Amino acid sequence: MKALADSKANKYFLAAVLLIAVLIPQVITSPSIMQILILTLFYAYLTSSWNLVGGFAGVLPLGHSAFIGIGAYTSTILYLHYGLSPWFGMLAGGVLAAVIGVIIGIPTLKLRGAYFALATMAFGEGLRVLVENVDTIGPLKVNGPRGLLINLTGNSFIDYQFTSKASYYYIILALLLIILLITWLLMRSKIGYYLSAGGEDPEAAAALGINVPRYKVMAMAISCFFTALAGTFYAQMFLYFYPKSILGLDMSFEIAFIALIGGRGTILGPVLGALLLRPLNEFTRIYLGGILPGMHLVIFGLILILVMIFQPRGIQEPLTRLYRRILYRIKGS
Amino acid sequence: MSGTALLYTDWLDEMEIIFESLLNGLLMGSIYGLTAVGLTLIFGVLKVINFAHGSILMVGMYAAYWCITLTGMNPYLAIPIVVPLMFYFGYFMQQFVIEPVFKVEKDVREPITVIIVTTGVWYILDNLALMIFGAKYRVVHTSVTGKLFELPGDIYLLQPKVYGFILTFISGLLLFWFLKTTLMGKAIRATSLDRDAASLMGVNQYKIYRTAFGIGTAVTGLAGCVLVPFYSVYPSVGIIFDIRAFIIVVLGGLGSIPGAILGGIIVGIIESVGAMYMPSTWTELVIYGLFLLLLFIKPTGLFGSKHDF
Amino acid sequence: MKILRPMLVPVIALTMALGTLGVAQAASKTVKIGNIIPLSGPSASVGIQGKNAREMAVQEINDAGGIKALGGAKLEMLYADSKSDPTAGVSAAEQMINSDKVALLTGCWNSAVTYPTTQVAERYGIPFVVPVSVRDTITERGFKNVFRIAAKDSWWTRDQFAFLKDMEKEFGTKIKTVAFVYENGDWGTGFAAGWKKLAKAAGYKVVLDEPYPSTASDLTPVVLKIKRAKPDVLFLTSNASDAILLTNTLANMKVHLKAIIGSGGGHADPTFLKAVGKNADGIFDIVEWETDLNKPGVKEANAKFNKLYGYNLAGEAVDAYASTYLIKEALEKAASTDPQKIRQALANIKLCSGPGAIFSYECIDFDKDGQNKNAALVVVQIHNDNGTMKRFSVWPKAARHAGYTPTFPMANK
Repeated sequence: MKALADSKANKYFLAAVLLIAVLIPQVITSPSIMQILILTLFYAYLTSSWNLVGGFAGVLPLGHSAFIGIGAYTSTILYLHYGLSPWFGMLAGGVLAAVIGVIIGIPTLKLRGAYFALATMAFGEGLRVLVENVDTIGPLKVNGPRGLLINLTGNSFIDYQFTSKASYYYIILALLLIILLITWLLMRSKIGYYLSAGGEDPEAAAALGINVPRYKVMAMAISCFFTALAGTFYAQMFLYFYPKSILGLDMSFEIAFIALIGGRGTILGPVLGALLLRPLNEFTRIYLGGILPGMHLVIFGLILILVMIFQPRGIQEPLTRLYRRILYRIKGS
Repeated sequence: MSGTALLYTDWLDEMEIIFESLLNGLLMGSIYGLTAVGLTLIFGVLKVINFAHGSILMVGMYAAYWCITLTGMNPYLAIPIVVPLMFYFGYFMQQFVIEPVFKVEKDVREPITVIIVTTGVWYILDNLALMIFGAKYRVVHTSVTGKLFELPGDIYLLQPKVYGFILTFISGLLLFWFLKTTLMGKAIRATSLDRDAASLMGVNQYKIYRTAFGIGTAVTGLAGCVLVPFYSVYPSVGIIFDIRAFIIVVLGGLGSIPGAILGGIIVGIIESVGAMYMPSTWTELVIYGLFLLLLFIKPTGLFGSKHDF
Repeated sequence: MKILRPMLVPVIALTMALGTLGVAQAASKTVKIGNIIPLSGPSASVGIQGKNAREMAVQEINDAGGIKALGGAKLEMLYADSKSDPTAGVSAAEQMINSDKVALLTGCWNSAVTYPTTQVAERYGIPFVVPVSVRDTITERGFKNVFRIAAKDSWWTRDQFAFLKDMEKEFGTKIKTVAFVYENGDWGTGFAAGWKKLAKAAGYKVVLDEPYPSTASDLTPVVLKIKRAKPDVLFLTSNASDAILLTNTLANMKVHLKAIIGSGGGHADPTFLKAVGKNADGIFDIVEWETDLNKPGVKEANAKFNKLYGYNLAGEAVDAYASTYLIKEALEKAASTDPQKIRQALANIKLCSGPGAIFSYECIDFDKDGQNKNAALVVVQIHNDNGTMKRFSVWPKAARHAGYTPTFPMANK
């Protein structure tokens, strides 16, 4: 009975959050706050995609920026060279990323934790170095370290370019809802069950006859596909990117931070982590970065350490507890 | 001069250059190995990738820099000051920063939260250095800076690199001896093999972790002392050696000290000799490619095995 | 440990609150200027030089009574750290334009950051003064609000070759072969592309074309390749740490060349000479500005800067310093903080005198694309002057340091 009431309250709560999320662009007119919100959702989306491998498959990928880059480069090169709409280019990038993810995943997902983390990191860095050394692939212009620039077309849906921030906001919100739904469905499916079993105790799962690596590779493919979509979004939002900005280690690390701070392996963790870290990152950089260079990153590092010491399962745990308590309070009165 | 004679001298020149680059790769590679020994030792015992490793190297380099600049001493005399200091730095960092997280996650073999804590330490150390010392590049002029050993055939070897090579092997052997023969060394090895069993045998595992982390940090401090006479010091210098060190320890087998030194030499030689045949930006690619290939064929690295140290 | 746990949330909330507090404390009569520069990360050294130069100029302007046309309004500098990351630059620009309501923006040193960030300013119609960022295309997009003080990279490479030709003539030394060694980034590859074209046109044979990773820890292999290729002249684009490594390694390996020509950047970094000492003897470097410039105010400005921050002004810092005075001038002319009026003032401005005019040419004057058409470059030679390494202007001949004869080809020690 109690569980039923809870799930009803959850539904109301979710509906309210969703309503607020949809209404935000109607209320907030400041483009700079919109920009921060968009980046927050962007990272929530990326981390949720990452979470399919990093959270549920029990490994620590540190090279996901490679797939963001594959997405951005694929859709942009197709657009610049063949005039293909980035909406289709995005899917092409996703498929390519998934294929590469499988090729990389088959050998590496068998590896132990640290080896997997370092292997994915080396793959990400290797890809960056490769792109920086390539000017053209056949007729296609990659432009090495100088990066690619997308021409400004103004408001044009087919070109994936919008003058209003609200359009980008709704795109990334929709993408986030899709990945959250997929995560939820996956967690409830056989795959999710096997994955979490394999993540916690690979030997026991293998003894039960579950082919854990196979499910991990599947999770990797889905994760890479959705990560690449974010690459196209990034490219279309900034209209310019270069290897260090999109293929660097920074982004791979930031995704992992958000996941761990939020609570990896949970649906809400990546969203909560992004909601805490992104605005914090932006505000401290803008307001402290100029006064004391480096101070904002010291604060960032301190928060990472504090959260890991006091909430090693991430901030979603105390927040869920708080939510439950409030719920009981309301029901009690 | 006849045509054949010209060809012959060209060939001789070419051989000299290749030989010179091979020697340089060997020297530089051994120093890379030294920067990676601490990382592999800490991983072997704690099963944690220490992302603060580059920052620790940076701290060691600043320590050596100030020692030498303030006193004007011979750069290698700074070693007995910097190395013990770095040991305690690592010991207390483990005790007060990393251990609390470790205790929460003590059932997990490779605690990922600890990796994030080390990353936090990396951010804090690098940026504290930026705030304290500023972003400028510091170079110290010591009695060995820019000095050469000249070999026949116009081959020049930088003295500080040669000393670095020698120190790498001395410290590698010392560590090996320490781990194989002393009581503490044996306890460290036992803990790295099976921390629970060692704990049951009466080994205080947290003390072992602190000591191992301290030793790892001290060796990295030694690497800092070796680098300072020919390398500039600045707050983000660690990153340059960091990623290379990660690759080296996996090449050599995580946890293996001889592996780290050999892995370093391999990377050094590829960088040096490889660059003679391709643009040097491509040598990086060769290293990453080789690294991934090795992971697919022999994931435990060249020397790594479950029971190796 | 348990007791500390409840403190976690307040601590986080407090840090966030401290962050936002910065917004609230704006004083009344000020003109806000947003500066987006790299203050941490790999380019922090040059970013902090730019910040120091701006601070010195703002202090002087405010002490002298601020902007008179605006009733003595003071300049207020807001700084954002770009970390050399375009995304951070774009976010900071959005933030400064919309929340802080800055009158104009300056930055960003890294071309890769300046490129998309100026696009933001253009969209909002906020004037953007670029002291230094060399990529050609920054002022070739038909933007109305972008004003660049520094020369663009095609001018740098053009002048490097013009200098070499002049030297050949002046000293009767024939140059046949050249080598290009450059950091494999936006800047280095941009220069290299220019060099290749110019070398072909000038009839030089390119014996080595070598990019190296900007994260290289050992440049001995690159130096061995130079030794093997035996070029007459070596062209370099290097950041500070690699310029130091290359110079020392070239000297250690006893590689003898007729000339080494740097491209500013690392070779012009204030720490470079201190770090390499005598090994730099004879190296040529192309810069926007040099301390031996014979112009009123230069010595005083440099002495003051050195006293405040402990090192000499360099091209980048001078452009940042001049840009602050340029902004002051524009505000006086516009007599308003309306961005469009400021833009108009900048488009028509000619800054030729005053404390800010310590640049090597006569006036800052923008063409219709917002490029300072007068931006000129100077080639200097590093020379051992009785035991201290100094930089002497050698080219163009009109700017040559009085009484100095360049050593060309370089002396082989």
